[in-house]
Amino acid sequence: MPPFDLVTPRSVEEAIAALRAFPPDEVAVLAGGTDLLLDLEGERADPRAVVSLRKLPWRTLDWNLGALTVGSTLSLRALETDPELPNRLPALHDAVRAIGGIALRNRATVGGNLGRSAPASDLIPVLLVLDAEVDLVGPDGERRMSVDRFVLGSRRTALGRAELIRSIRIPEARPSAYLWQRVRPANDISQVAVAVAFSPAHRSWRVALGGVPPRPTRVPEAEAALAGARPSASALADAGARLARHEALVTDRRATDEYRRTVASVLFARAVRATIVREGGPG
Amino acid sequence: MTSPRLAVTVNGRPYFLDGVPGEERLLDTLRWRLGLKGTKEGCRTGGCGACTVLVGGASVLSCLTFSHEVDGEEVTTIEAVGADPIGRHVQEAFRSAGALQCGYCTPGFVMALTARLKVDGRAVPVEGLLEGLGENLCRCTGYAAIARAVAEAHRRVNE
Repeated sequence: MPPFDLVTPRSVEEAIAALRAFPPDEVAVLAGGTDLLLDLEGERADPRAVVSLRKLPWRTLDWNLGALTVGSTLSLRALETDPELPNRLPALHDAVRAIGGIALRNRATVGGNLGRSAPASDLIPVLLVLDAEVDLVGPDGERRMSVDRFVLGSRRTALGRAELIRSIRIPEARPSAYLWQRVRPANDISQVAVAVAFSPAHRSWRVALGGVPPRPTRVPEAEAALAGARPSASALADAGARLARHEALVTDRRATDEYRRTVASVLFARAVRATIVREGGPG
Repeated sequence: MTSPRLAVTVNGRPYFLDGVPGEERLLDTLRWRLGLKGTKEGCRTGGCGACTVLVGGASVLSCLTFSHEVDGEEVTTIEAVGADPIGRHVQEAFRSAGALQCGYCTPGFVMALTARLKVDGRAVPVEGLLEGLGENLCRCTGYAAIARAVAEAHRRVNE
């Protein structure tokens, strides 16, 4: 691994200043490091400095009725073991548990998973169907945007120079499910994944595909076809057919387009049914 | 820029290490600076669990952790896990089940299972313990004996 200086700022201001001291391609942000380390080892990144966020006060988790705010450096394991999570946001619980194993999740962070923006991120499709927003802080102050706008592509986000993810906000508890397909069930990444949620406030469905290049994506045509709280068998089949035609379901080194289309429609039907029967489900 | 001094407690003993570069990993600090060779290097990419140690009681992949990230923390490795009552139960369970072939993955399994039993206690059923070991690989494929050891450790801890 190429050498670098590891900088550990004690405040948000110090962290932003440390990031500003370098050109963007010569500095990297370290949260849990479980993904960054692989890039550094593979020399896909060669920074002069790495800025650690471990002393920032962002390992937080707050419920406000059904709304959840998670600090960006909270470990995935800490999120997963929150006692309210499985009931209020079951898809998020499913997604976190799909990432690596316990020892990896003890270090890996929520903000790291979003900020690294891998095409096969398990978190991002679920954040999309939960209408999650991200709070950023940087040299020009704070701003908030939807996760959908924040994620630009494979390994690309709207994060500006010296800007950091402070927290992620989910507006309401939602019946939801996240299902994935992998070569191996444990410690692997998804070939295709489906996230589904029903918004009680909007009385409408959210559907997203994961494990697909270049980034996880909402599927509005499937959402519209599901219509009400309890879609009929024909509406479910129609929505599944629309989902299976999505352009993101392509052939790459992890799976063929045919395989992805077939599996996505099966996972989708299961995820919708699971969402309906889960406690607090629609209707 | 010179690296700051690294202060870390390993197996109950405090260390103050100078000259540890920013890119050095906990795995390498343990094995090469402290001579604790019980922690194994398998894949070095977080895919096998052989390098699992405890940081503040939680299981961590030492190959994916920069040493300076555990500054001020307490690290426990396989060399000292037997001093812990639950760690002792886990070691005895692996021994009585004969749950090793080449033995290279064993420290990682023992540390991961010890952490799980210590953090999540008795509430976790055997199936949950097994699922929690999903990131630990045994390339000898000696999983049947390892599963027996996990059941035995669960029994001993709940006695």
